[in-house]
Amino acid sequence: MNPKLRVGIAEIRIAGAPERLVSYGLGSCLGVMLYAPELCCGGLAHTLLPEPGQKGAGNRPGKFVRTAIPALIAGLEQFGAERRQLVAKLCGGAHMFQNLNGRMTIGERNIRVARMLLEELRIPLLAEDVGGCQGRTCEFRLEDGKVLVRLARGRDKLREL
Amino acid sequence: MNFSQLDHLQQDTLCELSNIGMGQAATALSQMVGRTIMVHVPSVTTADIAEVPDLLGGPERLVAGVILRLEGTACGNMLLVLPEASAEQLLQVLLGPDGSLESELGVSTLQEIGNILASSYLNALGNMLGMPLYPSIPQLAYDMAGAVVDQVLGEIGASSDLALVLETEFAGNDGPGEPIRGHFFLLPDAETLEIILAAAGGAA
Repeated sequence: MNPKLRVGIAEIRIAGAPERLVSYGLGSCLGVMLYAPELCCGGLAHTLLPEPGQKGAGNRPGKFVRTAIPALIAGLEQFGAERRQLVAKLCGGAHMFQNLNGRMTIGERNIRVARMLLEELRIPLLAEDVGGCQGRTCEFRLEDGKVLVRLARGRDKLREL
Repeated sequence: MNFSQLDHLQQDTLCELSNIGMGQAATALSQMVGRTIMVHVPSVTTADIAEVPDLLGGPERLVAGVILRLEGTACGNMLLVLPEASAEQLLQVLLGPDGSLESELGVSTLQEIGNILASSYLNALGNMLGMPLYPSIPQLAYDMAGAVVDQVLGEIGASSDLALVLETEFAGNDGPGEPIRGHFFLLPDAETLEIILAAAGGAA
């Protein structure tokens, strides 16, 4: 068994093969994964919200998509990765409850900010399993950068990104 | 007000309020299912938002979660969390052998249970505090506990790293089949906590 490191809400972790980074039960939260293929190392951020707005929002970079992506890059650079090698994958950003007010859900906003920021930073988004109304667990395999996505129920319960 | 600054008296006040509210709610549930529903001593926990999924039995645990927004003078979220087996059991008691979480009738039945529990809880709380409190339309998600609670945590997380969780566990064991267990959570918004404590006489 490869060691699994849990990445909880608002946390960021950077690790290298053979370890695996796992975020359990992502709903509207978005798991943002950056990978450096040549070094077999990567980072996972379990983000809760798109960006810091109100005061009192705290100073954990992993809580917001907007702050988590630069923090992931900085963490991987410390590992020896170069920014232009990095590739990205996304998982989560669902809406678990029916959207009654017609505004964009937290999940949709998380996805949108992540895609925009990755494009600005020219980090290719290789794959994503996002949106919908199902919870997901994502397991980021650092030996090859693959992501295993697990759903609680439904026909297609296991996917690979 | 910061949740981490609650003193013992304030915690006791919240516990007692929760106890009375849940007592009322349990009575309503007993009448509906025809079983005695026991309420455990409630707990008041100040938890880091990252720890809340563990309070629900772990982020990957499959649960039926009914979420209601608390509206009126006080704001916050309420969450009824039933483990899969208990939700199925509850539906079979109420709907007969066809009761299922996957059916539309099952979903609306659980939403209605959430509504009844929340309304009786809030009714008791509102009467004691002298303020009108009512729940929004209930919504149901049948999925991983972590995913079910994400949206509530997002709302709290926008202005805090901590969540105040008033938790009550209830169980009905005296009928045939599996015991029915569930957790009822109230997560007040930060400003609401001040309002509740002020009305209860334990002002911050």
